[in-house]
Amino acid sequence: MTDIAPETYESFMTEPPADSVMLRTRALDFFYGKFQALHGVNLPVAKNAVTALIGPSGCGKSTLLRALNRIYSLYPGQRAAGEILLDGEDVLNSKVDLANLRSRVGMVFQKPTPFPMSIYDNVAFGVRLYEGLPKNKMHERVENALRKAALWDEVKDKLHTSGLGLSGGQQQRLCVARGIAVEPEVLLLDEPASALDPISTAKLEDTIIELKRDYTIVIVTHNLQQAARVADHTGFMFLGRMIEFGPTQDLFINPKAKRTADYVGGRFG
Amino acid sequence: MFSRVARRKFYNTVFVGFCVLATVVAIGALTLILWSLLHKGLAGVDANLFLADTKSSCQGDSSCAPGGLRNAFIGSAMMLAIAMFIALAVGILAGTWLSEFGGETPYGHAIRFLNDVLLSAPSILIGVAVWELLVVPFHGYSAMAGAVALAFLAAPVVTRTTEDILAMQSSALREAGSALGTPQWIVVRKIVWKAAGGGLLTGGLLAFARISGETAPLLFTSLGNNLFSLDPFAPIASLPKVIYDNALSPYDDLVQIAWAGALVIAVVVLAINILGRILAREPKRS
Repeated sequence: MTDIAPETYESFMTEPPADSVMLRTRALDFFYGKFQALHGVNLPVAKNAVTALIGPSGCGKSTLLRALNRIYSLYPGQRAAGEILLDGEDVLNSKVDLANLRSRVGMVFQKPTPFPMSIYDNVAFGVRLYEGLPKNKMHERVENALRKAALWDEVKDKLHTSGLGLSGGQQQRLCVARGIAVEPEVLLLDEPASALDPISTAKLEDTIIELKRDYTIVIVTHNLQQAARVADHTGFMFLGRMIEFGPTQDLFINPKAKRTADYVGGRFG
Repeated sequence: MFSRVARRKFYNTVFVGFCVLATVVAIGALTLILWSLLHKGLAGVDANLFLADTKSSCQGDSSCAPGGLRNAFIGSAMMLAIAMFIALAVGILAGTWLSEFGGETPYGHAIRFLNDVLLSAPSILIGVAVWELLVVPFHGYSAMAGAVALAFLAAPVVTRTTEDILAMQSSALREAGSALGTPQWIVVRKIVWKAAGGGLLTGGLLAFARISGETAPLLFTSLGNNLFSLDPFAPIASLPKVIYDNALSPYDDLVQIAWAGALVIAVVVLAINILGRILAREPKRS
């Protein structure tokens, strides 16, 4: 891959109204050891909307997502510089309590990752960490989360069987349910449909659109049609930089950057 | 000349042939061992074996009550239980630390290296070390010293398998746990250990199989005892030691008891392995 001097990048940003932005990154750099994966990325995330990140493999979209809940902190050698503001508070501040941050910013991964326990316990797991709910309240919470993730009808008769026994698509919706059961403010989805078949994908997309009434969603996807279908705002990234950000329609129909036009037009990627 | 396809087929047949041959040799040896154990040991297995304690030979004295192995069974069971308790506690925690917490620090590398050294240390040396450590200072051989010696042998096995099994668990699972805001020690305890359960059990069984037939470390530690004893701080009989002594004796009745004891050890180890396999089976998909 050829590296292009930073000055040849112009970032075309069409920001959502400032008062709707609840999470934003400012001049975010990210390093895997000595390798710099993100260069001064700005990303505004609007409340109760779906924000999609697209771009070719290795462009840094997953890296950006993984910075937002600081899940990268699990790995020594990975670090971020710049600002990530969640309701005006800098997430990168070393005083931030990571458990608290992650209870506010949930995440669903590319591969389904059900815990080795029952469906019910999978969903209740996170809730039990924070709240000592009485049995009936917990029941309600689990049912609600499974309903929102559009999984309830399929599992309501086998809540106490292992989560590992579900199909891939069901497992992924179980992970979504687990993520929303702790009632986060933001839900990060890292290519959540890439391991799923088309029918499961369609169900998951419906779920995502449903969820934005209650949550703010950031989704990384390889699938341009998926971004077009579910996202209100889309950011196109390339070589660790935010090339263009704007309303999804504008970005797909009337892109401002040539690189965006080439990518969404299928001329490279 | 052969065609390419024919040649490839030929090499394939040769390769598979060697694999089959190796399997036959391995299984054949095992069958021979089990066969001679059954053949020579079965005759000595009776109620008396489990009810009477060890004693000297009855050779040529028809009025003498024959000896058994009760005290040796009890002694071995006691020492193995204590040893496995120590080895599992130390080994699982150490393996977890190596895999999840400090394995990549210089201290972690040193620990891993020393564990590997301990893993391959001759068991007789472990016996001597524990003799210096527990027998000499406390002025006496004891079941406890024997158990500690066995634990020294089992703990590195458990540590090693625990680290390997935990390292095999996907990092996605750990990330998913952390992404819910779970503290690391809960991720390890409730998610990673649970996902690795079958493997951890296998590690424990390997360690058990490793120490259940050990004689050398017991020579200097638990010594042996012809009387029935449950005192962990007194010398105690053990199966491998009794088998060793009896097998070397010139008396047919003692040799017979040795064969019977060997058969019992083999059956117990086999049974525990099978039980472990069943317990460790992956949860069935519904």
